[in-house]
Amino acid sequence: MNISKYLPEFIKKIPTHMDFDGQKKAERYFQFIIILFAVVGFIWGYMCQQFSQTMYILIAGFTVSCLLTLPPWPMYRRKPLNWQKARAEVEDVGSSVSTSSPPPSSQKSKKKK
Amino acid sequence: MNTFLSRLNTIFAFTLSVMAGLTFLCFLSTVFNDHKTLVSINTGKIIVKSVPDYSTSREKNDLGFVVFDVHIFNWNVKQLFLYLTAEYTTQNHKLNQVVMWDKIIRRGENAILDYRSMNTKYYFWDYGNGLKGNRNVTLTLSWNVIPNAGTLPKVMGEGSHRFAFPDEYSHHGLQ
Repeated sequence: MNISKYLPEFIKKIPTHMDFDGQKKAERYFQFIIILFAVVGFIWGYMCQQFSQTMYILIAGFTVSCLLTLPPWPMYRRKPLNWQKARAEVEDVGSSVSTSSPPPSSQKSKKKK
Repeated sequence: MNTFLSRLNTIFAFTLSVMAGLTFLCFLSTVFNDHKTLVSINTGKIIVKSVPDYSTSREKNDLGFVVFDVHIFNWNVKQLFLYLTAEYTTQNHKLNQVVMWDKIIRRGENAILDYRSMNTKYYFWDYGNGLKGNRNVTLTLSWNVIPNAGTLPKVMGEGSHRFAFPDEYSHHGLQ
């Protein structure tokens, strides 16, 4: 179940990945935003005695945090990992990812995650 | 968190957890409410009829009753189901309760009820002949609270009205 191979090339080129530090930041940010909106929504909903208002404000917080942390904005990609230079023979295997030797290539992709 | 979809999944799951937490807090904020209010009920014309088909007595009376306040509504109340009950004793049955009228009030609708000279919604049948000359019939208004989250309390309004049925059957048609 991997649809990525059916996607056209220009979509695959859109970067979606954050570095580790960026992932940590993104998680902190959306947790903070959603909790903040939840607290404000709870107080506001209690003040006007409408629980629906609380839910709307929470959904607003969800939207804001989606906009802020779903796309891999540059601020989440500032500390990329410094991988060691690949050794020559490993690079050969790695560069011919497509057909020649599936087992090593799959191993490598696992390591990346 | 390293791909778009996994981030979306995490944010969505977190939002749902927070939502559940908020709902629980909303329930906690209203858990000690007793949902009580004052009710005043009165009766107008009271008649009793003997309807031979069913060999029972039947009455239909005018009701005037007021004061049902907005105070019941809070942010954890979605709607109220009100019902007017008549309670009485007969020789054969110790406790009889008959629902004569009911109404649903949704959030946002007018919650101050003031009905005057209104007929009952349902017939007041007795299993037998216990209504004629019954001296002690008590009307009470009760309601069920349907909340957003939490328990479904049944509340009886403070205030009731007691009336008596006449000793004679009325013979002027069925109205």
